[in-house]
Amino acid sequence: MIPFIIRKVLVLIPMLFVISFLIFLGIELMPGDAVDFMIPPDALATISQAELDVLRAELGLDDPFLARYGNWIGQVMKGDFGYSLQSGVSVRDLLAQKLPATIELSLAALVISTLLGSLLGVVSALNKGRLGDHVLTVAGMIGVAIPQFLFGLVMIVLFVFQMELLPVGGRMTPGNEAFFQRLDHLILPAIVLGLSMTAGVMRYSRASMLDSLSKEYIRTARSKGIPEWRVNLIHGLRVAMTPVAVLIGFRLPILIGGSVVIEQVFQWPGVGQMFVAAVRSQNTPVIMMVAFFSVSIVLTASILVDIATALLDPRVKLS
Amino acid sequence: MKQDTIVEVKDLCVNFYTNQRCNRALRNVSFSIRKARTLCIVGESGCGKSVTANSIMQLLPDLGRIESGTITYHGEDETVHIEKLPRNGRKMRSLRGEHIAMIFQDPMTALNPVFSVGYQIEEMIREHLELSRARSSEHAVKLLRDMGVPLPEQRVKEFPHQYSGGMRQRAMIAMAMACAPKVLIADEPTTALDVTIQAQIFELMLALKEEKQMAILLITHDMGVVAEMADDVAVMYMGNIVESGTAEQVMSSPSHPYTRALLDSIPVLGRGKAQNLEPIRGTTPDPYNRPEGCQFEPRCDYATEICRHQMPPEEFVDTSAGDDTPHMVRCFNCKELTHV
Amino acid sequence: MSSKSLQRKMDRLLTLENQGKLRTSTMNRSVRKLSANVLALVGLALFLLILMSSLAAPLISSYEPNAIDLKHRLSPPGEGHLLGTDQIGRDIFTRILYGGRISMFVGLGSAIGAALIGVSLGTYAGYTRGVLDSAVMKLSEIMMSFPQIILVSILVTIAGQSLWNLILIFILTGWPSMYRMTRSQMLSIREQEYIQALQAFGIGSVTISFKHMLPNAIGPIFVNITLSTAMFILQEAALSFLGLGVPLEQATWGNILNVAQDLNILRNAWWVWLPVGVVITLFVMSVNFIGDGLRDAADPTQVG
Ligand SMILES: Nc1ncnc2c1ncn2[C@@H]1O[C@H](COP(=O)(O)OP(=O)(O)OP(=O)(O)O)[C@@H](O)[C@H]1O
Ligand SMILES: [Mg+2]
Repeated sequence: MIPFIIRKVLVLIPMLFVISFLIFLGIELMPGDAVDFMIPPDALATISQAELDVLRAELGLDDPFLARYGNWIGQVMKGDFGYSLQSGVSVRDLLAQKLPATIELSLAALVISTLLGSLLGVVSALNKGRLGDHVLTVAGMIGVAIPQFLFGLVMIVLFVFQMELLPVGGRMTPGNEAFFQRLDHLILPAIVLGLSMTAGVMRYSRASMLDSLSKEYIRTARSKGIPEWRVNLIHGLRVAMTPVAVLIGFRLPILIGGSVVIEQVFQWPGVGQMFVAAVRSQNTPVIMMVAFFSVSIVLTASILVDIATALLDPRVKLS
Repeated sequence: MKQDTIVEVKDLCVNFYTNQRCNRALRNVSFSIRKARTLCIVGESGCGKSVTANSIMQLLPDLGRIESGTITYHGEDETVHIEKLPRNGRKMRSLRGEHIAMIFQDPMTALNPVFSVGYQIEEMIREHLELSRARSSEHAVKLLRDMGVPLPEQRVKEFPHQYSGGMRQRAMIAMAMACAPKVLIADEPTTALDVTIQAQIFELMLALKEEKQMAILLITHDMGVVAEMADDVAVMYMGNIVESGTAEQVMSSPSHPYTRALLDSIPVLGRGKAQNLEPIRGTTPDPYNRPEGCQFEPRCDYATEICRHQMPPEEFVDTSAGDDTPHMVRCFNCKELTHV
Repeated sequence: MSSKSLQRKMDRLLTLENQGKLRTSTMNRSVRKLSANVLALVGLALFLLILMSSLAAPLISSYEPNAIDLKHRLSPPGEGHLLGTDQIGRDIFTRILYGGRISMFVGLGSAIGAALIGVSLGTYAGYTRGVLDSAVMKLSEIMMSFPQIILVSILVTIAGQSLWNLILIFILTGWPSMYRMTRSQMLSIREQEYIQALQAFGIGSVTISFKHMLPNAIGPIFVNITLSTAMFILQEAALSFLGLGVPLEQATWGNILNVAQDLNILRNAWWVWLPVGVVITLFVMSVNFIGDGLRDAADPTQVG
């Protein structure tokens, strides 16, 4: 197990370097540079070109590209992620400040979509061809087709404006900051993000379950005289679980993408919202770190998926 | 019906409903499985051997259905009409495994890959026998040892993929024998194995038959296996049993043109080198577009006009058989044939 | 299927068979299965309806999509404006029709563009394997480890917001999944004997892979193109919402829907955002139905 993980991590490191280089290159290609965005447009007229050049040199913007990349990656490895051009706060502090909110939301959505999606998928598979299966399939199709933010907006209209059940936007009401007091803020975004991902999980787990149920070991299990529920839930489901576990890992990029949109809809103060703001104002250090960070998470998750698969399926060897 | 009949199948018809069509996979099939005897069903691929076996266990796929006929299980103190039981109902389940057990063609796919072999055997034991966890795992180890699996204490914890093909089939048999069933149904149990392993598995089955007085239904497409294993034989073609009887009768005085052709088309072990092999002319018909009369008519060298319009009835060649399985054949021209 | 209705269906088939009325259909199995798939047919009808009405927009509506009418701002549906007007008096219905043209163009164009790159690379590299394959594979791995929306946002900022840039970016981020799908198809087709026979004849890799292998993978490729079209249309909408999509002057479904960010409009002028939202959903759904139908029809392992 341990050597397996070490080997995976060793493959990951060069990959992360390539990705960091690509991100740096991408940011480099963005129009304008830091100085253009640090100075308000009306102030720009009063500042001379010479002063701008000094500022650029101070920020190290005149160094050759590779030198700047080396400089940057060196700092990143020391844990210094640079400073937001907007607020001057260090990106590390920004991430530390925004990350809990995003993790809270994503985790809730992940739990909702995984539990609900695999449950409905299995129910659907066990009722294949019956009315319930058709209803779930069509509902899933609608779920996949509806734009996430539209779903969010409709829910806001319904639950916030029409029924006035839940507060609008944000993560907490000032003064009520304990977890249970902010639960009412979390409910709506978590459900919207969770439900919008449920359909995909459902379709996949239905297919996986049907595949497992069509296998020969199901007939063997029946030939033993054990009850149907054991045949379906012990023999069928246990094998169908592995691909579903893999899917959870592969859904992380979608989850991150989804939370960017949903955080925007619900004004949820997380990394996604910060990213959108950074892109709009070309706040390069923030863009860079969010991109790099999310890729790292995705890649780490893929290692976790490999480990989970190995644990769930005795046929997969770790050597 | 003979005294020692355990499972009696009579006029069994099974249809499959796929492709918006109806496929009459079994048409009036009758045979008996008798105590301490092996009945071999032989026939080409697609003739309905597996469907027959699955019908007895009520394990047909959803799109298949028993249309008519009876399957009767004569237990020690009860007689059960299997065809009337709900597929996965309590009664049917109490027969499966405990009274009639089954092993399959490919032990790799027939065993669940994510459970240990021990778990899969114990599952069977605990379903039917009231044994504690510890006792049933002891029993599983004993079964594996009895079936010739080396180091059973250790192997019981391993997963199917850690077993070799032959060992896997032994494990399957161990599972099937867990509750000492009266009947063992084996659907081509050695097709996925190589020849030496095949011989070992058959040896094991023969020993179990002798020792436990168990009845065996062995499905195969290999005449060599029939010669070696069978006490009784049923030859199947396109959903009909065209000839049946004791192995002796069918193998040495085959009365149906198909049986003859089958025997002529395959080398049989022990028949010597100078075998004149002749493939059967033509191909098996499309099950959706069957001949009207005798199914074998288009390929038969002895066919006459009547064969084209009517399926021959069951006829008994030699009624003086006494306690033996009667020699049955379905052919209009079998009398002429015996003189050829 | 519930066992009773299954039994009834079997009885019906049996009676028909006994009367000798059933024949094995000579129609192509895939076509037959597709035409029996109600959802796929409904999808196709919806798809054609939305496509045709967008194309025929000038015939259906007499308004200009961008004609501003400040006297009739946010007027509700009815009285000359079938679906009302938006905050600067543009006719919503007309904008949905014209917006559909661009949105569908973005979706379909990007999907086809991504397929062209992904499929050709996948076909050739999947057949020859070797250095090209491992390099492209690594690249696709890297690209696919980015959450799509993050990658697209960065690229939009680099390239600037415009219709063509958006399509280009979608193609750039969309080809890896096409590549992987084609490649895996190729890897399995590659093992078939006729390919070895062709190799033995000394036929070149390009001919073998593109002429003899690719046609056998065309089913899954079509399915993938339909499903990607749906995905890109949704992405266009999401990007508009984030303010990173096609410039606002151009009516697209995403741009029309984007207005709903204004809380006032969201609460009080449902006609501005709800109809276009429904149209997007219906369109994406219809494309998915078609894609699923194609997939089932092409799947030889399914009975029917
Ligand atoms: N699951 C099924 N669905 C539809 N038709 C089936 C199914 N299983 C069997 N059949 C049909 O029943 C007939 C007999 O099939 P069966 O599997 O019993 O053949 P077999 O004699 O066991 O052949 P093999 O030696 O290849 O195992 C065939 O015509 C086949 O098409
Ligand atoms: Mg078979």
